[in-house]
Amino acid sequence: MNEVHFVTLAEADFSWLPSLFSFRLLSCLALATAIFSIGAWGVLARRNILVMLISVELMLNAVMLCFVSFSRALVNLPAPNGNAFAAEGGQIFALFIIAVAAAEAAVGLAIVMAYFRNRQTVDTRDIQALKH
Amino acid sequence: MRIHLGVFLRLMEDLVFILSGAVCLGSAIAIVSRKNPVYSVLFMLPFFLGMTVLFVLLSAPFLAAMQMMVYGGAILVVFLFVIMLINLQPDEIRDDFSFATYGPPVLMCGVLGGLILSFLRLSIPADSPLEQAFSKAVPVERVVEQPLVGMGNTVPQLGSIDSLSFPLFRQYVVPFELISLLIVVAVLGAVILAKKRV
Repeated sequence: MNEVHFVTLAEADFSWLPSLFSFRLLSCLALATAIFSIGAWGVLARRNILVMLISVELMLNAVMLCFVSFSRALVNLPAPNGNAFAAEGGQIFALFIIAVAAAEAAVGLAIVMAYFRNRQTVDTRDIQALKH
Repeated sequence: MRIHLGVFLRLMEDLVFILSGAVCLGSAIAIVSRKNPVYSVLFMLPFFLGMTVLFVLLSAPFLAAMQMMVYGGAILVVFLFVIMLINLQPDEIRDDFSFATYGPPVLMCGVLGGLILSFLRLSIPADSPLEQAFSKAVPVERVVEQPLVGMGNTVPQLGSIDSLSFPLFRQYVVPFELISLLIVVAVLGAVILAKKRV
């Protein structure tokens, strides 16, 4: 096992951050991480149900970007177990994510519409019919 | 000033990545921070456009086309319809943008992003085989030992419809059929939920 080496913030090494602006695997993953955290911010901090659903789509897109960048990295590595299409798995899973996101958006928005028709509100603080 | 073609292509890749990444990040921040939900839905469009450019850059052109068609052509339109039908007036928007309500989630997400990024940087350093494999050009044809049915010894390029269809209908055929079942169930559910009960 590697030994753990703690550093303080002042002596931490941030020199790798400018290299994120070139097109590397880490920069694609960093972009996906940023979009994911922005989506998480949207789900947690907003009260409007529609914006929360959009933020969920944001997070799913970030995960898709992650899968596709790993698939591009995997195509140049030696294929495991003679499986010639190991790299396509990432893109195929991204296709599945698109399908699932579409289904979930349709059902979620149908629920929002049905609730709005009955209660005339899309504010999550007011949606408490199951609470007590 | 003469630039080698490989260097020029690398610079172009970096430039396109930075531009589309900036568009995606800016649209994402605009989506979650706009008070009016109409603006949130409208900023989804440049976000999906940026993601499409990123997918083409990552040699997934079929996925980029599918993403634009499904997300930009169906999901975005459904969101716009719902926004139009709900018809929120400006005085009905009751999001709380004070720091007490808003600050902790933003800080938490920043910490989360920083943690994930540092773990990623530790596990994928600049000289790892993953990074070097990513920087190599995607081969137009990959050669395999066992010939494929109808294709011979060569495998089509990553991201093309040919190469995506081989695993989709052999290895991943069960999830593929289950996805179609899921879509049928979702459509049924949406139709039933949207009906007015008399």
